[in-house]
Amino acid sequence: MAYSDKVVDHFNNPRNVGSLPKQDPTVGTGLVGAPECGDVMKLQVRVNPDTGVIDEAKFKTFGCGSAIASSSLATEWLKGKTVDQALAIKNTDIVAELALPPVKIHCSVLAEDAIKAAIADYKQKQEAGQAS
Amino acid sequence: MQPDTSAIPIDPCKHCGTGAPVDVHFCPRCDRILTLGRHGDYFTFFGLRRRLRLDLNDLEQRFRALSRLFHPDYFHNSSSTERLASLERSSYLNDAFRTLRDPMARLEYLLKLEGFTPKESHDATTKVPQGLLEEVFELNEELEAIQDMRAEGASAAAIALRLSAARRPIEANLARHEEQLHARMSEHDARLEAGDPEGQREALAELRTLLLERTYLMNLLATVRREVSAGEAAAS
Ligand code: FES
Repeated sequence: MAYSDKVVDHFNNPRNVGSLPKQDPTVGTGLVGAPECGDVMKLQVRVNPDTGVIDEAKFKTFGCGSAIASSSLATEWLKGKTVDQALAIKNTDIVAELALPPVKIHCSVLAEDAIKAAIADYKQKQEAGQAS
Repeated sequence: MQPDTSAIPIDPCKHCGTGAPVDVHFCPRCDRILTLGRHGDYFTFFGLRRRLRLDLNDLEQRFRALSRLFHPDYFHNSSSTERLASLERSSYLNDAFRTLRDPMARLEYLLKLEGFTPKESHDATTKVPQGLLEEVFELNEELEAIQDMRAEGASAAAIALRLSAARRPIEANLARHEEQLHARMSEHDARLEAGDPEGQREALAELRTLLLERTYLMNLLATVRREVSAGEAAAS
């Protein structure tokens, strides 16, 4: 199966690979897995607590080229977005941008799940911080 | 508990019109091979209950007996309907045998039959414990570090040592999984025998989770194997 140019580009030059300190209260971490293939993806965001804007995003994916490209693209999109805008990113947007074939849709779902999980983690930390 | 036969759909014999349940292969009246009904399943096809632990010798005997009965050679001079039926039954039989003789394929098949959604759905029921994901992620990182070692020209002995340390927890985990799977399968069969559909479904739900977790572990093991053979290729 041929990968689209955009997938190949993200695969060869993944953006924002790495990690952020998990314990940091301004960092949200999402670790998710794809039940179809057993691939795993970690995506992290650092949010500016005053503006609610994501100023840093990192990922690390152990999976196929499409999953790597999806998460790489997701981190690019996340930067500069507010938390709520981030939640509006849909896997179908990723599918369209990367021209993923039907068998690779679950790889983009993984990225959407990772975004949601990272944001949920951040929000939970914020609430816990306010409560104490 | 006796299986509820009234629920088994009836398909009429194309030759004499006599109705026959779908788990019967030959017409009870005219003895001709029946066209393949659409409502049976692999278990009923073999005359088996939906058990997860099957006696493989018994399964194989049933398979041989049925393949002899359906063999297209016997239907050379029969009507085209019967010839088609023999082909259909033979190929269905092969699919059924291939699925049921493999315990994991059998389990996946039964889960689907019992309405446990296939694993591609992304809902809460396909989630595995976070702890497992963390473990899988960390082991992947370790394997990546080993790849880097190789790229940097570390000695084969040093790589092999670290690799064998990395694969140990994966294999231990898989072995534990296997045990749990077998225990749950026996549990399921016991519930089936006892006529306890609720207990049966509970066992199936647990089996489904175990099967999902297994996907992650098998994927990890495949990475380990790739690394091992990369090491062997480098050594030779
Ligand atoms: S094949 Fe598993 S995430 Fe793409």
